[in-house]
Amino acid sequence: MISLCDIAKIFNAGKTNEFSALHNVSLNLRMRETIVLKGPSGSGKTTLLGLVGCMARPTTGRIFLNDREITSLPERFLTEIRRSTFGFIFQQFNLIKGISALENVMIPAYPTGEKNSLLRKRGLEKLEMFDLGKRANTRIEFLSGGEAQRVAIARALINNPAIIIADEPTAHLDSKLSNEFMEIMKDLKAAGTTIILASHDPIVYNSALADQVVEMRDGQVVKDGRL
Amino acid sequence: MAAIEHHRHILDFTLSSLLRRKGKNAALLSVYTLIIFILASVLFFTHALKREAALVLKEAPEIIVQRTLTGRYQPIPTAWGDKIREINGVISVRPRLWGYQYDNVYQANYTLTVPAGNPPEPGSIDIGSGISRMRAAHPDDIIAFTGHDGLPRTFIIRNILDNESQLLTSDLIVLSEKDYRDFSGIPAEQATDLALRVRNPREYTTIAEKITQMYPETRPIVRTEIQRTYDAVFGWRSGLLIVIFSAAALAFVIFAWDKATGLSAEERREIGILKAVGWETSDILLMKFWEGTVVSLTSFLVGTILAYVHVFLTSAALFAPVLKGWSTLYPTFRLTPFIDFGQMATLFFLTVVPYTVTTIVPSWRAATIDPDAVMR
Repeated sequence: MISLCDIAKIFNAGKTNEFSALHNVSLNLRMRETIVLKGPSGSGKTTLLGLVGCMARPTTGRIFLNDREITSLPERFLTEIRRSTFGFIFQQFNLIKGISALENVMIPAYPTGEKNSLLRKRGLEKLEMFDLGKRANTRIEFLSGGEAQRVAIARALINNPAIIIADEPTAHLDSKLSNEFMEIMKDLKAAGTTIILASHDPIVYNSALADQVVEMRDGQVVKDGRL
Repeated sequence: MAAIEHHRHILDFTLSSLLRRKGKNAALLSVYTLIIFILASVLFFTHALKREAALVLKEAPEIIVQRTLTGRYQPIPTAWGDKIREINGVISVRPRLWGYQYDNVYQANYTLTVPAGNPPEPGSIDIGSGISRMRAAHPDDIIAFTGHDGLPRTFIIRNILDNESQLLTSDLIVLSEKDYRDFSGIPAEQATDLALRVRNPREYTTIAEKITQMYPETRPIVRTEIQRTYDAVFGWRSGLLIVIFSAAALAFVIFAWDKATGLSAEERREIGILKAVGWETSDILLMKFWEGTVVSLTSFLVGTILAYVHVFLTSAALFAPVLKGWSTLYPTFRLTPFIDFGQMATLFFLTVVPYTVTTIVPSWRAATIDPDAVMR
């Protein structure tokens, strides 16, 4: 269970450009379920994902991951949790240009110190899961949008995370590729992975995959519905 | 084992990062190498000059007595040496025969000298490596020089001189006393100057004063004065190089400062991605450390090797326009290769270390920012 208690996040606190992205957010997210954060741009979805994924700390409030409070953990522990527990799929894919698809997939596992041959093998397996085995040595900039999306998913899975966090994963995909993405998520869910998606795409929030849809507006949860 | 693999992965990623930005890194390497090349060339050159000066002085007598007439140099009677030898504290007096000869065919100045010991037989000579190169002359060849009367003299080459200092020997012709007197026209009872050995260095000045009182036409030159002369000659050239050195050092500071003040948007983005997917701040700093080390170490090695080639194999060809004084030293000589490892270590710590640190600092700033910035 991931629990958020009275979370607030203020950017540039005390400065003239101070901005309150979240206020008084409390949520419970169950493991092995698919949770969809729904809402217009600027509603606080991405900020909330960042807090859940240990990428940032809340200004106030507390976050628990499986009953362990992670809010005040030192950066080193947060990084370790982020690496071992979460896999991230970003809106812009955020792949590193100039290197191959396989290298991109392997990057999150470099700090683990796994033997190179084993890591390459595992990276290839992840790419083959998405029919990208033959494109393993192709540089990222030569891949199509759909291929790049699948490489990003393979990268998110390289450390076998318990939780997948995806921010607007279908924003740059056409409806065919969006449906393919949801199919992949379905398989991951079936394998017991917790999935947290932020999207304002109906293909995502109307999907039968969703167990919980959290509707957000202006940094607040306006509706928390279990389906 | 895991720690080694961890480092290996980061080093691999660093190298691939460097290759990804070929253009930028090639430009960086070129500028850095050029600066190191200039700095190292100046260090090599000034140090080699000072060493040449030290070698020259090592062989210099304690006091040299010259004869002057209204300020102009004159040959000195050898009989004066017998009288000077009677001064207390003087161990020995040796009349020396040496001088210069201008060769208008090759437009070169030669230094002629009669050695204190082991002179060549009359009719044979030893020549410096510079003359050997220029005249394509080798041992047992016959070589001709024009004497004071305009008539040619031929000699058989006995040896090519190969001393540790080319400054001393490059343009040197060593010949017998008989040949020298015939060549230069100096009569038997005269010498170029007198070289004195003195027992106590504290007595140099006293003995010099006594010589002047005895022979007012003489000008005694003590070793410390020779030292000052060489300092002036070599120091002047070194001084010019210090200006070049300062300019290169300033360029390095600007270069390092520019590096320290920021990362490109692409580099910041990459750091954000790496942090977001689970790299620790220390991993990113390690990557940037390797990046800085690879660039600076490569530049340092290439720049130093090029400087070595430039100074010792091409006789500092790029500095020649600044050091036109060498043109009087035909035939050309090469500085004796010598590296002061203390100086090289100083150059290393003043360039490689600051550059590596300045590579890390902006990355550290970027790496300590929350990785969620990459999601925006």
